[in-house]
Amino acid sequence: MALDRIRNFCIIAHIDHGKSTLADRLIQRCGGVEARDFRDQILDSMDIERERGITIKSNTVTLRYVARDGQEFLLNLIDTPGHVDFSHEVRRSLMSCEGALLLVDASQGVEAQTLANLYLALEYELEIVPVVNKIDLPSAQIEQTLEEIESDLGLDPFEAVLCSAKEGTGVEDLLEAIVTKLPPPTGDPAKPLQALIFDAEYDPYRGVVLLCRVVEGTIEPGQSVRLMHSDKEYEVEEVGLLQLKHVKRPRLEAGAVGYVIAGIKAVQDIAIGDTITGAERPAAAPLPGYREAKPVVFASIYPLSTDDYEDLTKALEKLVLNDAALTYEKDSSTALGFGFRCGFLGLLHLDVVQERLRREYDLALLLSAPSVRYKLKLEGGREMEVDNPGLYPDPTEIAQAFEPFIKASVMMPERYIGSVMEICRERRGEETTYRYLAVGRVELTSELPLGEVLFDFYDRLKTVTQGYGSFDYDMLDYRPTDLVKVDILVNGEQVDALSQLTHRDKARARALHYCERLAETIPRQQFKIAVQGAIGGKIIARSTITAFRKDVTAKCYGGDITRKRKLLEKQREGKRRMKMVGAVEIPQSAFVAVLKTEKD
Amino acid sequence: MPATPGRRPGLYLHVPFCSAICPYCDFAVTTGDGERRERFLSALLEEVALGVPRGWEGEFDTVYLGGGTPSVLGLDALERLFEVARRHLPMTPEARISLEANPEDATPERLAGWRGLGVTTISLGVQSFDDEALRYLGRRHTADEARCAVDAALAAGFATVSVDLIYGLPGRGVAAWRRDLEAAVELAPDHLSCYQLTVHPGTMFGRRQARGERIEIPDELQARLFRATHEVLRDEGYEGYEVSNFARAPRHRSAHNTKYWDHTPYLGLGPSAHSFDGGRRWWNERGVAPWQRLVETGVRPIAGGEELGTADLLLERLMLALRTAEGVELEEMRSRYGVDLEDRDGERLVRFEAAGLLSREGGRLKPTLEGLAVADTLARELGNLTDPSRSRGN
Repeated sequence: MALDRIRNFCIIAHIDHGKSTLADRLIQRCGGVEARDFRDQILDSMDIERERGITIKSNTVTLRYVARDGQEFLLNLIDTPGHVDFSHEVRRSLMSCEGALLLVDASQGVEAQTLANLYLALEYELEIVPVVNKIDLPSAQIEQTLEEIESDLGLDPFEAVLCSAKEGTGVEDLLEAIVTKLPPPTGDPAKPLQALIFDAEYDPYRGVVLLCRVVEGTIEPGQSVRLMHSDKEYEVEEVGLLQLKHVKRPRLEAGAVGYVIAGIKAVQDIAIGDTITGAERPAAAPLPGYREAKPVVFASIYPLSTDDYEDLTKALEKLVLNDAALTYEKDSSTALGFGFRCGFLGLLHLDVVQERLRREYDLALLLSAPSVRYKLKLEGGREMEVDNPGLYPDPTEIAQAFEPFIKASVMMPERYIGSVMEICRERRGEETTYRYLAVGRVELTSELPLGEVLFDFYDRLKTVTQGYGSFDYDMLDYRPTDLVKVDILVNGEQVDALSQLTHRDKARARALHYCERLAETIPRQQFKIAVQGAIGGKIIARSTITAFRKDVTAKCYGGDITRKRKLLEKQREGKRRMKMVGAVEIPQSAFVAVLKTEKD
Repeated sequence: MPATPGRRPGLYLHVPFCSAICPYCDFAVTTGDGERRERFLSALLEEVALGVPRGWEGEFDTVYLGGGTPSVLGLDALERLFEVARRHLPMTPEARISLEANPEDATPERLAGWRGLGVTTISLGVQSFDDEALRYLGRRHTADEARCAVDAALAAGFATVSVDLIYGLPGRGVAAWRRDLEAAVELAPDHLSCYQLTVHPGTMFGRRQARGERIEIPDELQARLFRATHEVLRDEGYEGYEVSNFARAPRHRSAHNTKYWDHTPYLGLGPSAHSFDGGRRWWNERGVAPWQRLVETGVRPIAGGEELGTADLLLERLMLALRTAEGVELEEMRSRYGVDLEDRDGERLVRFEAAGLLSREGGRLKPTLEGLAVADTLARELGNLTDPSRSRGN
């Protein structure tokens, strides 16, 4: 099909602004799927996405649309994930498009993420069509939303399409706007091949399925191709279009969006954002904008029952086939046994991985406190990175520690500004400033240590802004910090799985929180138990669990003996699940209670 | 496991009737009019007439009538029961016979009658010498009536007179409990059983507690009351030979109850009664009606049973032995259960000794007073044959 009949576009929006519903409606309208097969939010294929209403893995679909002028168009809708943790995926999706629909919820208005995504889209020089969604809601404020589109986003409100994805109103106008306002792709099928890998799926029978945008040249089965960044060669087996299922085609030419199967075994073998080129007639340079997806949040995952370690290993092996951003390596703890140290793109990514392990693999897990990766300059000039408290060196060897900072952006009605500034101050925010976006609406920015955002930041923010605050961040840089390792001791024995790295000012509060939680959840035993928090040898927090002094039942005669024995056996069964730290038995529930993030 | 030679089995007869149900009681009890009691008695006689089960060894040298309140049965009824029992069950001529009685039933005439039937031990359900506490416990007698009953029992010539007391009532602290103990000691019974009030689900107290009423007291106070009980009675010359039992001389210890604690076989007849033959335990139907239906068709009224493995027997033996002041002979654990506790659990024993919970004297493992108070934990920790942590030398 001629290039001018192709449109490559994405939908960018804040979570919950109705992106997936709109995508569903477009698919339905273009006959992309039989009505009886239609499940709401088709593009959000994972259960967790469906449940949380967020998109994690982007999905892509090619639609056939006959425009009002009678011409047939191929519309490639490139779905983008809607959360800050996945902004690298957003970038790659944007790089595959010429235009974007910027979706704004008429009842919520412009949010921090909308703005962040708009900036990204502008960075890639995309043509933008603003779309005001949810106009059917009684709380819809269409006029005010249009004003915000002009004042906050700097877009022309007269270009905006009004629609209700839920009701299907305005969808026709939107499709016309896509073909009339968004530019067609450019490119030359005869030039050396340059195709951008913007996503990959794992198919147990075919291996890795690459999703790409062909920018220049042509790709076809039998062709030898090279991945320019990872410098590997493969032979193309199959190419085709993504029409909710794979539809085989003889070739993909410049401007097209589709899939490529090339005998690639694992997602680890490829890098998303890489450029495919021809092995025989390579392009001079890869496409710009390649960025490695680096994990920034780390936590250890242990199976609740040590018997499940093998299963956890297998589950992680399978999970990374689909999730190239997840990293893991073996880890072990005296208290919790064998597990894995995992790297995540952010807290949501961590949550998603944990949920998938629980649901898809039916594993009961324990997660250590999440940590960021610190940089340490050691005496003698050597440098190292550490995210695992277990590997933290002797503090006397450390000349200076550095921690990662982010630039956080919070958009909210102005009445919450005081409370949000307070949260930022509590969390060692620097350069906290704000500006008015419109009457009554402010954007606050603050440079915060990422480590401070890991603990209940979102939840506190949601609470103080009563749900009206939205949050987005970018990684900034590493800054000097006063880092300490807080250990938790139970009767003088260190519980390694509970150690954590934190800023000195936060150490006491964190330690006290752990001590109190443990004192609440460790059952009383025949002797007194001291639960302490310590930095090095110095105790900074303490709780005590008093000994129990009576548990014997008053009567034990003929009929009571069997019952009594069964009770002891049951209690003993419960104790098998306990972890011994010195002479103290710590139930799993204590670890769960302590390590559970404070949001619960 | 065969019965230990030299130890004769005990016979338990359960009489489920009470004139009213106490709010704390979770035994198989019922009220019932004369007609129902008559029918029950016939059934009990039929069960007794079935004799001992096949393979049962030894003659009974203790008989215990418990309940319920066996004292609600008339003298004639008891006489018939003893007569039928002697005819159908092997019993030594000098077998000790214990009877549980309520103070209000213990008139001098009845006491003389029981004595005449051969009852050697009378156990009086006094529970408290405080009228308010008695009302709280739903008892049908006063403190004065209790005193009269104890005096009368002592005068009636029983070998042993025992008094049951309950402590740990809400709002009654150590001082009030000491007064109760002193009131009991003043009467000089031969034996005392002091039970901590335990709230069982399904009882009136259990229901009240489920609705939010605080009945069970904090365990710190329980521990203090427990300690006070043992100390006061020791000073008064009563040996605390078991968690809840005290005797003025070894001959006053309950020979029948001791069988439960050292795995001597016992046969239980009547609804809910449990039996143990050294390796197997079984129990009768709990309700009077189902129990009666089976007995009346000539069938043993057994509801269920279990075969005890070595691990079960070991756990039970330790659990029971650690409830007694005598504790257990380490040699007995080796020969009877094949377990060398010192070898297998040396570290744990040392830890419990250091914590002042256990002592080792003359080849015996004995709980201290503090140890007696946490005997359940000690048994759970030590009586574990299958603990995987031990194989790792933990």
